[in-house]
Amino acid sequence: MGVAKLKKAELYYHKSVHEQIAAALQETGACQIISTDVENPSRPAEVEALISRTEEKLAEVRYLNRTLTPHYVDPIPALDRMLGERPEVTMTELEELASKTDLTAICDITRAVERETGEVRLKLSEAKLNESILSSLEFFDYPLSVFNEGTRTLTALAGTVKPESLPGLKAALGEFSKFAQDTELVIAPYDEKQKPTEVYAVLFYSRSVEAEVREACAKNGLSLVEIPASFEGTPAEEKEKTAAAITELEAKETELAAKMAALAEENMLTVQKLSDYYNSLAGRYNGTAESEETESTMLTKFWLPADRSDEVRAKIEAISPEVELTLADPEPDEEPPALLNNGNLVRPFNILTELYSSPTYRGIDPTPLLAPFFWIFFGMCLGDAGYALVVFGTILYVFKKYKKISVGVKEFIRLFLFCSVSTFIYGVISGSFFGNFIDSFVPILVPLKNSLMLVDPMSNPMQVLGISLLLGVIHLMFGLLVAAYEKIRAKQVIDAIGNDISWFLLIVGLCLFGVGTGGMIPPHFVQIGELMAVIGAVIIFLYAGKEKKGIINKIISGFLALYGSTSYLGDILSYSRLLALGFGSAVIGMVINLLGGLAADIPYVGWLVAITVIIGGHIFSIAINILGSFVHPLRLQYVEFFGKFYSGGGEPFTPMTLSQEFVNVKA
Amino acid sequence: MEMLGLSLALFGAALAAALAGIGSAIGIGVAGGAAAGVMTEDPNKFGSCLILQALPGTQGIYGLLIAFFVLNKLGLLGGGGAVALTWNQGLQILASCLPIAVVGWYSAIWQGKTSAASIQMISKKPEAMGKAIILPAMVETYAVLALLTSILMLMGVQVG
Repeated sequence: MGVAKLKKAELYYHKSVHEQIAAALQETGACQIISTDVENPSRPAEVEALISRTEEKLAEVRYLNRTLTPHYVDPIPALDRMLGERPEVTMTELEELASKTDLTAICDITRAVERETGEVRLKLSEAKLNESILSSLEFFDYPLSVFNEGTRTLTALAGTVKPESLPGLKAALGEFSKFAQDTELVIAPYDEKQKPTEVYAVLFYSRSVEAEVREACAKNGLSLVEIPASFEGTPAEEKEKTAAAITELEAKETELAAKMAALAEENMLTVQKLSDYYNSLAGRYNGTAESEETESTMLTKFWLPADRSDEVRAKIEAISPEVELTLADPEPDEEPPALLNNGNLVRPFNILTELYSSPTYRGIDPTPLLAPFFWIFFGMCLGDAGYALVVFGTILYVFKKYKKISVGVKEFIRLFLFCSVSTFIYGVISGSFFGNFIDSFVPILVPLKNSLMLVDPMSNPMQVLGISLLLGVIHLMFGLLVAAYEKIRAKQVIDAIGNDISWFLLIVGLCLFGVGTGGMIPPHFVQIGELMAVIGAVIIFLYAGKEKKGIINKIISGFLALYGSTSYLGDILSYSRLLALGFGSAVIGMVINLLGGLAADIPYVGWLVAITVIIGGHIFSIAINILGSFVHPLRLQYVEFFGKFYSGGGEPFTPMTLSQEFVNVKA
Repeated sequence: MEMLGLSLALFGAALAAALAGIGSAIGIGVAGGAAAGVMTEDPNKFGSCLILQALPGTQGIYGLLIAFFVLNKLGLLGGGGAVALTWNQGLQILASCLPIAVVGWYSAIWQGKTSAASIQMISKKPEAMGKAIILPAMVETYAVLALLTSILMLMGVQVG
């Protein structure tokens, strides 16, 4: 239970076996390397050489992965992949695969195809641009060579101009033209009603007035359009050629895409396997690179869970007799990482703690403390026996069908398996089965349902509200007691009494007083409650002024501290969400049944619509309510409960492991 | 005038479903924009982005829930006739709808903004998913409290 005991391991070994040692440490998955001092960054040259060789291969693998993935159709559906249905390989197989695969050759082929695709795309976009220019020049039925070659005395330019600038342009051209044949402006035909923003124009001019023509064009808003030198025939002829070129380029592009897809199909599995292989290698060598060295030995330090030390020792000693493994308890000034070590029943809840923040090595592991509360709260929020059965059945099916689910995913699914049990229980005692399905459609079961009901949120919500708030008080008070225990363990008894026990007394006392005056418990509890509350309040008042100087300051800070009780009131009321969310899922279920019942009245096809509405609606309801039932109880843990005693802030234990991004790798 | 009570009550139901629904639509829209931005960089974040985007959607459901609650109370569902309501009772039902209508509307918008910020956060730090979910859930607290208030008020109103 709680945070696992770690040992600080120091492993001395001969350099000749450093690769086997690195592999063994990684395969155990139980060793977190301790970095050497930053002041002493010298790393063993043998390991550095291996790292740079691995990095080269990794660069190729990453390139192929990035380039081929968009062209790869994964034969394994994403859901199956997430649930562990992936190829299984051993490290030995991977090593063989790596030695016979010529990654560089695959990269070269892929790069060639990629480069060619790039060139074709460039040409294609050029051709498409030309095609659009040619379409605009169709009015101009002369060979296009006039623009770039012209005759001895005559040449031409093409451009676009706003229709409203045309008169100005014409006037400017006429002004300096000595002869009428010096310039001729041809405007593309356009429809004035459509108000085009610009029109195409072609201008013939005598070479003798070139400078004046260009200036007049620039001044009057004619922007030049570059006509490629390759155009020689008329626009119609050139357009035909361009269209043929485009068809050819597009065919080429499709062909290259098919080639890329074929490359992906052929190599992707290998690339994925090798990605995991080289990432594993990089991980292990980067680990042992953190070693100290002498001429022929290396010293690697790592954290190791105490209960796995024998296994690791056996594995290392099998490699070579010339190794020395010493284990020591962490020194008080060392801060080891925290590994949560909980039993089967609590382990699925580890993720809730990890999502918040890992505990420190010497701190408390809140997982076993929050687990029962989360379990109950989730059950109350989802609160439907039918939904619980659906969730439970789905998870059993998943576990039966998928045998290779990774540990992390499996634990997360088990969390919901556990919580479906509490959901079922609460569903039964609150009489909710797919909302009010039983009352609506199977009246014969109503007596059975009613006989099992202990609470009835629908007709007596105050009762459930009371239970919710009571659970809240228990949760919060438990948090305060844990905080007090923590402080006493750290020998801060006064703080424990002043900060935590005092509030415990005050709130429990007030609650006893409250329900006692309501006549729900024997009257002498009222007196006990009164006494507890008064003692608690007095301690809070005195403790708050402990550090303050002067009687006035002491009194002010005392009252301020008592004012803090409003935050406890807020915390407790926050648990009313348990009623609201449970109520929410019950009413949504009820609404779905109601709609289904209404749909059943449609003639002939009514039953079909009704079944669709009821099944689809409840699936939606389960999805949306599971989200709420996860988030809100989690918030109660993080904000209300952890706020009393837990801040995390530790480093999680992250041992060297084999990379398993794409395939399941076995040692 | 004898229908005024019923009209007032229906007006309340309409407000609950409409305003809370508008809020959720805006909130989800804001969060969705952020999610789309993050996914252009990393499409693998779809799962976590979707969860964060869905968070401001609950207000709309709470509004719908209250609207159905009112319709059920009025006997408008299931083919039976509507119950007779005085205008006073109608006004009481209208008042009961206001907490979830108003709080649902505003809280969903702000929750959407918080969700969007959380989505930005997980784009940089995917391991902080737990914290990213809790921040928008803090805003939702007030929608839950408003829902509770509306439910308790509606249960207190005597009709029929």
